[in-house]
Amino acid sequence: MLTAFTRAFRTPDLRKKLLFTLGIIALFRLGSVLPTPGVHTENIALCLKEAQAGDANNIYGMVQLFSGGALLKLSVFALGIMPYITASIILQLLVVVIPRLEALKKEGQAGQSKITQYTRYLTIGLAILQSTAFIALARSGQLFPGCQQEILLDKDDVFGIITMVLVMTAGTGVIMWLGELVTDRGVGNGMSILIFAQVIAVFPAELLRIGQQKGAFVFAVVMAVGIAMIALVVMVEQAQRRIPVQYAKRMVGRRMYGGTSTYIPLKVNQAGIIPVIFASSLLYLPQLVTSLFSNTQEEPNAVIQWINQNLVTGDTPAYMITFFLLIVFFTYFYVSITFNPVEVADNMKKYGGFIPGIRPGRPTAEYLSYVLSRLTAPGSLYLGLISMVPIVALALVGASQNFPFGGTSILIMVGVGLDTVKQIESQLQQRNYEGFLK
Amino acid sequence: MTIGISIALILSSMLMILLVLLHKGKGGGLSDLFGGGFSSSFGGSSVVERNLDRLTIITGVVWFVCIIALGLLLKP
Repeated sequence: MLTAFTRAFRTPDLRKKLLFTLGIIALFRLGSVLPTPGVHTENIALCLKEAQAGDANNIYGMVQLFSGGALLKLSVFALGIMPYITASIILQLLVVVIPRLEALKKEGQAGQSKITQYTRYLTIGLAILQSTAFIALARSGQLFPGCQQEILLDKDDVFGIITMVLVMTAGTGVIMWLGELVTDRGVGNGMSILIFAQVIAVFPAELLRIGQQKGAFVFAVVMAVGIAMIALVVMVEQAQRRIPVQYAKRMVGRRMYGGTSTYIPLKVNQAGIIPVIFASSLLYLPQLVTSLFSNTQEEPNAVIQWINQNLVTGDTPAYMITFFLLIVFFTYFYVSITFNPVEVADNMKKYGGFIPGIRPGRPTAEYLSYVLSRLTAPGSLYLGLISMVPIVALALVGASQNFPFGGTSILIMVGVGLDTVKQIESQLQQRNYEGFLK
Repeated sequence: MTIGISIALILSSMLMILLVLLHKGKGGGLSDLFGGGFSSSFGGSSVVERNLDRLTIITGVVWFVCIIALGLLLKP
């Protein structure tokens, strides 16, 4: 393992890529702790301490996790990658609904890059909305309910507030660019590496907090449970069903092609962790909307009250059931987007491949989709259950919702970690080196 | 002084957003986020793209310096 790392660093261009990625992550973390000008840093630190000391089940749990604790500090990169993720979800859903976008998607590379461009525009739009919302919350003192300190330096200075909104919006743009730079010149997928960095960043502090507050025994139990969960997640993430494919021999000119037997790997969890991210960011929306509209002093209406009671914290039955169902739905949705059985079957037919015992063409496509939907059933249940674990079991221990071994953070860590290591490995293999995973 | 830096900060923020949007989106959205599909990046970057990179970095540095300067000035 370690020798593989030293080998990776001895390879010049891989070393360059790794260092580039690390540099971008460092820049990103720097921006996450740099406060936006006009924010009262000391008072925020006081309020944060107060919020953490109380049992306050952090309402912004998920967003706070994705922004690595930057959100409540109102730093330059406070919004993190959340606007980009939300924009991507919206566009993915719109592709199914709007015919013009669907046509663009079928166009291939060019259409896809156009959709990406739309996503980028939408990201900036959402960033303006969200930064305005958070600054407004901070101004009216609702960012930390129950904390009397003034968060902004001068809350009547309109010019200063506009500056803050613009800075946070530009920060989101910069994050987007940093992510794309990593994808382009670094290792792995930029956006997921940035999420990974944010999740890892809050990890040691949270662990330490549990150790201090609950004592050594609970700490040891938590560590044991966490390691067991990581092992389980790694196992399921690596699990795949191999569907054998036989290629017919054929002559092209004087050369012989094909005649090999290979397999299509279908992963149990083909969708990765995207369903969890989709579900949690969708569930976060009603709460954002209510916090925008409940600024006025008047009595909130029934809908807002219901949302506040049931959808804000994770320990109500309504929240858990919705979360679970959304994850299962998004798993199937995302698998159907990323894997098209008809296309795979057609490709196989074109190159003379077939699954033993099944005729090429339509029967193959039907077989593939049958296997895939049966395989996704346990996959989606697994995703749902893993992300319920922190909410159900750890509520008993009394840990907060953005607990370090929360299901989502484990899924992100393991998923992104495995993926990145595999990418490095494939680069190493180009030079005939042994990789990390044997 | 504060007003001047604020204006500089607003201008550089807007320029930053504009420049980032001018870049061609690499990565293809969520589809290859978290190890979805096969990432394929063919060809290097063009001259336009490289100049855009340089311009974005310069603007970014100015933006960053402005944030720190304004933050220090506004410190109570």
